[in-house]
Amino acid sequence: MTVTIDKPAEVRAAIPLLAAHDLRVVFDSARGPVHAVRGVDLDLAAGEMLGIVGESGSGKSTTALALARMLPPAGRITGGSVLLDGDTDLVAASEAALTGVRGRRIGMVFQDPMTSLNPLLTVRRQLDEALRAHGFGDRGARRARSIELLELVGIPGARLRGYPHQFSGGMRQRVMIALALANRPDVLIADEPTTALDPTVQAQILELLDTLRRELGTAVLLITHNMGVVAERCDRVAVMYGGRVVEQGPVAEVLSAPRHPYTAGLLRAVPRLDTPAGTRLAGIPGTPPDLALPVLGCAFANRCTAAVDRCRTEQPDLAPVTDTARTACWVPSTEASAHPLEPIVRRAPDPTSPVLEVSGVSKTFRSRGRPAVSALTDVDLVLYPGETLGVVGESGSGKSTLARAIVGIHKPDRGVIRVAGKGRLAREVQMVFQDPYASLNPRMTVGDIVADPLHAQHIGTPLERRARVLELLERVGLDPAVASRFPRDFSGGQRQRIGIARALAPAPSVLICDEAVSALDVSVQAQVVNLLAELQADLGLALLFIAHDLAVVRSISHRIVVLREGRVVETGPADDLVAHPQDPYTKALLAAVPSPVPAAMRAAEAA
Amino acid sequence: MTAAVVTKAPVVAAPAKRARNPYVQGLLTPRGITGLIVVGLVVLLGLAAPLLTSYAPTFQTSNALLQPSGEHPLGTDEIGRDLWSRVLFGIRTDLIVVVSAVPLGALAGCLLALVSVASRWADVLVQRLFDVVLAFPGLILGLTVTAVLGAGTSTVIVVIAVVEAPAFGRMLRGAILSHREREYALAARVGGAGPARLLVRHILPNAADPLVVQIAVSLSIAVIVEGAMSFIGIGVRPPEPSLGSIVSGSVMHLQDHPIYAIGPLVAISAFVLGLNLLAEALNKGVRR
Repeated sequence: MTVTIDKPAEVRAAIPLLAAHDLRVVFDSARGPVHAVRGVDLDLAAGEMLGIVGESGSGKSTTALALARMLPPAGRITGGSVLLDGDTDLVAASEAALTGVRGRRIGMVFQDPMTSLNPLLTVRRQLDEALRAHGFGDRGARRARSIELLELVGIPGARLRGYPHQFSGGMRQRVMIALALANRPDVLIADEPTTALDPTVQAQILELLDTLRRELGTAVLLITHNMGVVAERCDRVAVMYGGRVVEQGPVAEVLSAPRHPYTAGLLRAVPRLDTPAGTRLAGIPGTPPDLALPVLGCAFANRCTAAVDRCRTEQPDLAPVTDTARTACWVPSTEASAHPLEPIVRRAPDPTSPVLEVSGVSKTFRSRGRPAVSALTDVDLVLYPGETLGVVGESGSGKSTLARAIVGIHKPDRGVIRVAGKGRLAREVQMVFQDPYASLNPRMTVGDIVADPLHAQHIGTPLERRARVLELLERVGLDPAVASRFPRDFSGGQRQRIGIARALAPAPSVLICDEAVSALDVSVQAQVVNLLAELQADLGLALLFIAHDLAVVRSISHRIVVLREGRVVETGPADDLVAHPQDPYTKALLAAVPSPVPAAMRAAEAA
Repeated sequence: MTAAVVTKAPVVAAPAKRARNPYVQGLLTPRGITGLIVVGLVVLLGLAAPLLTSYAPTFQTSNALLQPSGEHPLGTDEIGRDLWSRVLFGIRTDLIVVVSAVPLGALAGCLLALVSVASRWADVLVQRLFDVVLAFPGLILGLTVTAVLGAGTSTVIVVIAVVEAPAFGRMLRGAILSHREREYALAARVGGAGPARLLVRHILPNAADPLVVQIAVSLSIAVIVEGAMSFIGIGVRPPEPSLGSIVSGSVMHLQDHPIYAIGPLVAISAFVLGLNLLAEALNKGVRR
């Protein structure tokens, strides 16, 4: 046994249920081999919930897939071992042996509950198949077990005959979990199981996983990008960056006293509900490493403020920093880093005359053969110059319809939208879109994209437009030289900056951000939120900030409007609304936001 | 703009990857290169026809149905015309037909697609028109058009254009409708772009990719349609050679003089195969 073990003393002698050692995965790509996982050590004890956190590209999902040898064809394990029960090496196992392991010993739950169930088969057939694959009893026994499984995950057994489309997203994820648990696996690998779900549903699914672990003793490997989820649900956490684990240990310890600068940075970037409103989020400057290129030294070194020369030449290994925690850093911080809360620059809104007024707006979508959907019902809101109005709500609350109605993409059935100011709507109201990959025309250069509203509205001479583009690019934190590049050369956060520059081009008085930071990793999200806050303070923009994440909305907004099923259920100053929610729905939303501060630590603080 | 620098240092983009045209990228694959070579060879034979033979394609020697020889590499036909020369000039005729007919059909289809995305009732009309065209088997349509216009090269061109138009029309209409709802198109609308600018500047450049692939597919179908029409005698009129009409003439002599049919058939097969390879390669490149 060469597997390193770092668990509390009482279980140290035990052999971990699943242990990866120096696991390496390489993907073939058009740009050459990408070293997605570069030597990962992990171990999972029976009945334990281990969180793997990291941003996109950190290798967390690849690690999860590699553990069950389920990598897509382009990926292959190039080194290391994955020991099950301390003796079976899954890396070396035959495909036949693996078939016996998957489902029976290791169950998997994936991110998207909409596509991971077969739409042609009833839930019963899918459960039955999973059971039969491992030779579970006869027809009757399998049926009984299927009902038992559904009830275990909180679905009435009577729904066994249903097809996936008859279930909501959260229910489908429950079905997925039932499928994964069908053959009583010892390990459940859940890859972002709640990312596609609304916060209240996310809380239910996490609660379910927690219950199952306690009652069935199933060990859970929970892969997530959400620090709050880890803080609330996991026993231990492994933080991944650039294809390696950079820090590992008990949740309470790692999250309250992070030793690795990346963990500390990530924690600072997460918007929280328990810091004063208007606290500046601390983004981590720079972008993650390109794993198609060789990484010399610590992958985080070029974004790290504490980096020393050695960080750039020599790769640190996970080394114990306390009895229970390990970190891979040459200069780990020795004590809990108390980071100063820095207020964002905000300026008071000017409440004399609103710049945008929405009154009594309703919108119903009708399509043939389907019931009409009321996306907005009688929505009122006002926005003053220099103000940020946050709009929160879950999917289907009408947030996007509202944004699109304001910019004129959807025509409201009833009600009035009034924009104060000089003239054309397109000059006064601009919008930043959700998807950084879809919202930029791939065939246009960055310069042309930013100048597009100017061209479309015949603003300025070609020379003036050119100057304006360069000024805007610089304003959003991009090198003006990028104007001649195409969107594909940029990362998500950089593309979102380009989208912001485009929206600012005609010097609008209202900027609508429709989930503009939701698709970004937290460290980048923080950068973009800060950019928006600063632009607002400097330019006196009125900002309509739409998002499903209450914590992000609160960090930037003066006032917040809560939408539910197309109606405004509550509106009020950001701090009041979070501190003293009136509507039960607002309360439920607030309760569902997981805080990155471990419960144990909060209890200690309160005492 | 004053003070308050947004980020510490300007964010610089990752080093530019070699931005290659997706079509070029698709063509520079084994499949694309094979397609290019095969099609290039056929086209070259057609273009260089006068240099590669000493006989005019309609010149009748006194020797009918000769076996291949140095003088007549593919032999001669039933009235003593040199088959090598007829095949080369036949390729030439086919080239003229498909190269004029397919762009014509593409143009017609695309214009109809633009009309149909512009107005709802025009859309209904155009789509039903496409349905009608597609409901007819190509040859029946060919016969109908020939009955009206009379047989001849220009009729073949019209038939091919009519047969191909719906494919282009439907494809472009679908692409425009889907691209119109993408975020970048919405962003352009929010930025103040009118319908014309939205279409020309934003949507068409992105919606055109499948059309390029369709052109390659349509060219190969066009070669086959020409062959079929000339084969049943409603296409290119004798004595002008076309690949289809040579095959037609060879049928009577398949038993005693098989070499007669081989020349034109090989040319048709190579041409169609090469074009299909190109279409597949382009498709791969576009999809990436």
